[in-house]
Amino acid sequence: MRRAGFAYAVTQGFSPKMRISFGPALPVATGGDREYFDVWLRQYVAAPQALERLAAASPVGLGPMDVGYVGENEQSLSATLTVARYEVVLSEEVDPEALQRALGAVIAVGRLEVEHKGKAKVFDLATSLPKEPVAKSSEGRTIAEVVTRMGPNGSLRPDELVRQAMRQANLDGAVETVTRTDLFVEDGEAWRRPL
Amino acid sequence: MRDARADDLWRRLETLLPHVERPARYIDSEWAVQRDEAAEYRAALVYPDTYELGMANQAIAILYRRLNALPGVAAERCYVPWEDMAEAMRREQLPLYTLETLTPLAACDLIGITLPYELTYTNVLEVLDLAGVPLRAADRTDAHPIVLGGGPCSYNPEPVAAFFDAILIGEGEEAVVEIVAAHRSALANGYTRAEVLRALAAVPGVYVPSAYEPIHAEDGRLVEIRPLEGAAETVVKRALGSLDVEEAVTCPVVPYMDVVHDRANVEVQRGCTRGCRFCQAGMIYRPVRERPADTVVRDAVAALTCTGYEELSLTSLSSADHSQIEEILRRLTRRLEGTGVAVSLPSLRVDSFSIGLARLVSSSGRKVGLTFAPEAGTQRMRDVINKNVAESDLIETVRTAFEAGWRRVKLYFMIGLPTETDEDIIGIGHLVNEVVRVARDVTPPAERGGLKIGVSVSTFVPKSHTPFQWDAQIPLAEVERRQSVLRGAMPRRLVDLSWHDADVSFLEGVMARGGREIADVIETAWRSGARFDAWTERFSLPTWFAAFETCGVDPAAIANRERRTDEVLPWSHISCGVSVRYLERERERAVAGTPTPDCSFDGCTGCRVCDDLGLAIELGGEARG
Repeated sequence: MRRAGFAYAVTQGFSPKMRISFGPALPVATGGDREYFDVWLRQYVAAPQALERLAAASPVGLGPMDVGYVGENEQSLSATLTVARYEVVLSEEVDPEALQRALGAVIAVGRLEVEHKGKAKVFDLATSLPKEPVAKSSEGRTIAEVVTRMGPNGSLRPDELVRQAMRQANLDGAVETVTRTDLFVEDGEAWRRPL
Repeated sequence: MRDARADDLWRRLETLLPHVERPARYIDSEWAVQRDEAAEYRAALVYPDTYELGMANQAIAILYRRLNALPGVAAERCYVPWEDMAEAMRREQLPLYTLETLTPLAACDLIGITLPYELTYTNVLEVLDLAGVPLRAADRTDAHPIVLGGGPCSYNPEPVAAFFDAILIGEGEEAVVEIVAAHRSALANGYTRAEVLRALAAVPGVYVPSAYEPIHAEDGRLVEIRPLEGAAETVVKRALGSLDVEEAVTCPVVPYMDVVHDRANVEVQRGCTRGCRFCQAGMIYRPVRERPADTVVRDAVAALTCTGYEELSLTSLSSADHSQIEEILRRLTRRLEGTGVAVSLPSLRVDSFSIGLARLVSSSGRKVGLTFAPEAGTQRMRDVINKNVAESDLIETVRTAFEAGWRRVKLYFMIGLPTETDEDIIGIGHLVNEVVRVARDVTPPAERGGLKIGVSVSTFVPKSHTPFQWDAQIPLAEVERRQSVLRGAMPRRLVDLSWHDADVSFLEGVMARGGREIADVIETAWRSGARFDAWTERFSLPTWFAAFETCGVDPAAIANRERRTDEVLPWSHISCGVSVRYLERERERAVAGTPTPDCSFDGCTGCRVCDDLGLAIELGGEARG
């Protein structure tokens, strides 16, 4: 933002900081393909120009994809972005069909207990998984596409779901990478991107 | 477009990243990174510690920019993987690679490893081992890259001489270009490794250890460092005639993760001629060469524009000594008004800090920390070390700072200096007591809760090329006793007292003045698991003691032994330009408590660096004879 030369707003108080707010945090060890942040400007810059300036000031691979203005009184990104889509890439020996069956078996139980920082957390899967996970093959790798709902009590980690499914089905293999590929606002039954 | 080898390495690397601490250490694509996959010549620039420490190193940043500007040359960064990643890399047989193109270090033409501190030596071996390059230069073949060292520890290169093919003594901006040119020419002509090293040795300032043989008497004393094969008797440092020949690094790589000193830097001057007798930097970086104010301001604005940092540091050994520092700060304050950017001056001297300077530094709205280094507690001791600072200077400086709104100040002291007595140690406590009293006196009662005087005490380590290079380091037991004396003299309230680990200082003392016998010790310690010795939580003196014993080397005989001035020292064949006679004279003046003035302002004191190296002090853009 500073490199792009924006006249950004700063917070009040003893130690003024740029007024910037990020969307939901990525889980540790998870990449992100489409993340969001809000920033307040003191001077209007047309969105296409803002996108261009920000892109020119960004490192390759971490550039902006889109820029748009939102109303001052809109809810925060953390509050509105409640659905996340993930891609969990697995090691070569995992068979997609076996994984699909394993995921189905876990979901059929309806709840999943996960240990997090020494504490047990129970997730209601009907609420936490607004869409059934899909295991598929892509370019010789097995990928699980998992959509989760984020809430005030936390979010189910997609890799944790996949690991539990593999453990229960005695499947060999490991999770290699996890990437959050999209974030959505729930609009009734539909999902939409914030921009 | 990355090649297949790099793609495969990335795929294997990517699977490790979720399982290691701070994975951002191992990736690139940061802002301002320079990448040339098609370059014919590739140099890996290695900082022998983690990414977050290495990214602050200005030498690497300067050489990165310098080499990447050469046609056909790519300079790429490499840092030491933390233990978890190193273990994973060994398990998965992943070679150490450069960040920019994932090129294995062993596939580079040159591996340049800076030597910032003696306690990074085991990390040097870690780098070579992870890279798959033989640790010892003697074991390398034409198939291996040239391993080049440099940096401050190169002034006594002997402890690590066995691991390097060549070592650059002095400043690298011009020399590294010549080294790469010589190497490229040698490669193009199909030279053998021995011929390549001869070609490199012909570059002024390059020391090729294999061209010198230390000769010992029967009693083990070093009696000669014999140049072989027509090598020069003395390797003299390289130094830039002027700092104004090129701009500061105004577009450095901006990291994704938190690193130390995460801010824009402009080097405002190089060298310091205050003449503190314990200070190696003050001797090896002579003479003083300032960047003129116009250049500093231009480069500072360019650096902030390019990087987007909100803090700018004007760096040097003693920035407040710059003859135009107030003008620089005034101009920067005007330019940066309303931007929220803070300007900091590290390494402040007590006697060059003024109310004017205080107001300028604080006018950016954010007060960054103040640190001063009185070093000694009594005037007698300060005269011995030539720290020409009176107690009244320090007290007045502290008063000025706290009146201007600072509430925290850090003070550095040393114990174990030559001629030191318990009275000098108690003097440190007295001085700190006075600082606390003044700080309280000028601070409004409502704000006294925020007062903090940080006191950091280290143990003196005699270094090569200083007037104290012949002096003994005090033994560990004596260090502990003196620390106890100091603890008893320090105020109990408002002071945060911290110690530099005496064990670490002892090992530093051995490495700083040891010879080639230390190489076996370093390798043995590394094989026993010594890594990241500069990190408190990783340092283990017992591991090193075991290594010394295995190799039959007595560390106390190196660290705690006083040398005769007619002894051949392990670094006698390396010159920083300051004559040995000058160092001897300074040592005599130290014992007599006679100060030596600053030659930048008070006339030549005869160290010979300007005369013998064709250099001159440059202040405000003008050379002074």
